[in-house]
Amino acid sequence: MSKTTQATTTSAAARLHRREMLLGTGVALAGLGLGRRVLAQGRGTMNLSFWTFENPQQRPWIHKRVRMFTERNPNVRVDFQYFPFGDLGQKLSVGFATGTAPDGFVSQDWFMPTWLSRELLAPLDVRRLGYDSKEAFNTDFPAAFVEGATQGGEVYGYPLWFYGFCNYLNTKHFREVGLDAERDWPQDWEQLGEVARRLTIRDGERFQRQGFKFAMHAAQWTMIHLNAIVHQCGAKWFDDQGRCVINSEAGQRAMTIRASIARQYGAEDPADTIATNPLPMMDWLRERCSMFLNHPIPPAAIISQNPRMQEEGYYRPVQYPGVQRGRGYSTTYGFNLVVNARAPRERQEMLQEMYRFMMSDPADAWADAAPFPLARKSGWADNPAVQAFPHVNEIIKARDEGVLLPRSTVYNELADQVHRGVQRIMLNRADIKETLDAIAAAVDRASERARRG
Amino acid sequence: MSQASLSQATAPAGQQEIPARRRTRLGLRYGRRLQLIGFAFVLPTLLFFAAFKFGPMLWAVELSFTSFDMVSTPDWVGLENYERLAEDPVFRASLVNTFVYIAGSTVLIALVGLGLALAINTSVPGARACMAVMFLTNLMPIIAVTLVWRFLLHPFGLVNQLLAPFGVGRMDWLTDEDLAMPAIIAVTAWRFAPYFMVVYLAGLLAIPRDYYEAAEIDGAGAIRRFLHITLPLLMPTIFFVVVVSALLSSRIFLMPYIMTGGGPGDATRVLSMLIYETGFSYMKMGEAAAISVVLFAIMLVFTVLQMRIFMRNERGLA
Repeated sequence: MSKTTQATTTSAAARLHRREMLLGTGVALAGLGLGRRVLAQGRGTMNLSFWTFENPQQRPWIHKRVRMFTERNPNVRVDFQYFPFGDLGQKLSVGFATGTAPDGFVSQDWFMPTWLSRELLAPLDVRRLGYDSKEAFNTDFPAAFVEGATQGGEVYGYPLWFYGFCNYLNTKHFREVGLDAERDWPQDWEQLGEVARRLTIRDGERFQRQGFKFAMHAAQWTMIHLNAIVHQCGAKWFDDQGRCVINSEAGQRAMTIRASIARQYGAEDPADTIATNPLPMMDWLRERCSMFLNHPIPPAAIISQNPRMQEEGYYRPVQYPGVQRGRGYSTTYGFNLVVNARAPRERQEMLQEMYRFMMSDPADAWADAAPFPLARKSGWADNPAVQAFPHVNEIIKARDEGVLLPRSTVYNELADQVHRGVQRIMLNRADIKETLDAIAAAVDRASERARRG
Repeated sequence: MSQASLSQATAPAGQQEIPARRRTRLGLRYGRRLQLIGFAFVLPTLLFFAAFKFGPMLWAVELSFTSFDMVSTPDWVGLENYERLAEDPVFRASLVNTFVYIAGSTVLIALVGLGLALAINTSVPGARACMAVMFLTNLMPIIAVTLVWRFLLHPFGLVNQLLAPFGVGRMDWLTDEDLAMPAIIAVTAWRFAPYFMVVYLAGLLAIPRDYYEAAEIDGAGAIRRFLHITLPLLMPTIFFVVVVSALLSSRIFLMPYIMTGGGPGDATRVLSMLIYETGFSYMKMGEAAAISVVLFAIMLVFTVLQMRIFMRNERGLA
């Protein structure tokens, strides 16, 4: 054999060898993967995926209960993922679009119409969730919240947390200006303006302390703060035909109240408020603002920003101011545990088992995530540990008497339009009527598009 | 006579078999084989671009003629999305904002970048060190930079504090409808002008010193030297900077998104933000794709126009 031929043969052999190696490796890997799957199926392992939002108290509790469930059910594995609060909706949308949505997830209640209108959620079996009947299920939760989780008589969401907003007062600031927070807490919007004016400290154009402030940083917060005033004024977001009617006289009155704290009483600086804070309640926690409408604030959040405030306890939540004195109520919102309609049936059933387990110890939920109240009425509110929490009944009252955000498939469009409108009114002194007309027109256009598909 | 037979006829006796050996088993000539091998090397890249760059672009164009909520199957709606855009005041406002932003930031970047390059291109001690420091603005993550500027432009931030001794009162840079867009344009120029300064500097260094020396001997002052030597010879670089910075500006998203969220009202909402909101917040992917196509068309027209001006200028210089 010539040298050249020998070299060619060796080279060919080497190439063949490499191919064989690659082929062999590929087959081995495929076999390994298949084998593991077969083995897993043989053991009956079920892999579930579950998404929720980040919250320093709520997310760890959910994660803990999921872990406990998997420990009790070794054949179940849960791929647990969480996302920033504001991102979860978008992540889910993309997940549904790409076929990568989780089997189960926590849904903010204002997203329920979006999922339900697209038939993305599976109906839940209330017996599997631990209730004898749908009636028993319905009576265990606030009616308005259950209404958002049901459609056509079917239950699509297992209500988790549900809370209203309270007016958080800095009682030390009240004392400094000769007010008693227990007696002088503002019970209507005019009183709020007057008290806020007294609490405000200004140095020329600069606010050293705002007596009160509305959130200006995000559409969702704009809606939450404004929605209660809209209801209190007797205004509606939509009429029975689905037309946006926020530009009604009652709507204008609501927006005038919203604007009055800055415009009439000079007790807040919207341009300062919009600017920089990572947490909406930060100015209140840092005592740069004396009153702020907020969801229940966990002690841990106060300790992290202002340990002295927590230690000396110079704060308290009170009810929202009302248009009618003493009859204030806030916006409420909550979260549902839901199941992806596209998940295989056995996973849907297992998820319901998991949800039942998660919610089987409401006192544990309170212990870990206080003071966020649960949506369910039974099994926790009269617990001594719950009742020992300072001002817990104010928090529960705000939940029970609150009104929900509008449920609409164009909710995001509405919230964005209202947010932009509030910015124009508060920052650029735009005319309230004209701005509300523009909001209503834009929302009607969005509704029309949604109807046409 | 064919080229092959000609080469056989003229080749020395010992080399007559070469053409035969240069044919592959498939009967391909050596040159063609080389071409195919070269093509095979670039094929993965071509496939990558086709799949991940041009594919999505074409799909976006197709989507713009559909109604698609990211969940259901896309429905063909023809030109309806474009008709809706034409009626939508938010789209019109965003379109105007995008033009204002492109024009403002392109002009500012081009001028500031040129000014910085001219300043650096002197024999002043420490000028090159200054260039390095200024270029640092491009190395910092844009999110961090934007957040810092948000603090600086706060009503009681550092910018207003620095302006106060000059009798400038409170300026609500990011919350006043008239100031928000100029503020974002200024931050954009701060961020990108040093990058283009380096491009200008390369152009300046390429101009032969002889021209300046000859002009100086003829009595030309600094301004005349700049107008009659620097500017004409730097024109290709200026056009490059204008084209690239305009394209960069047309795609801007993070700065207005983080600094103002598109507000106050719609004062700083640009098309890229509207695409994001329409697609991911309102789940109207068809409409978002239509806005993308409009943005693409603007960029295309803008680029073609500038290229034509550039070519004409080049010919003029030649």
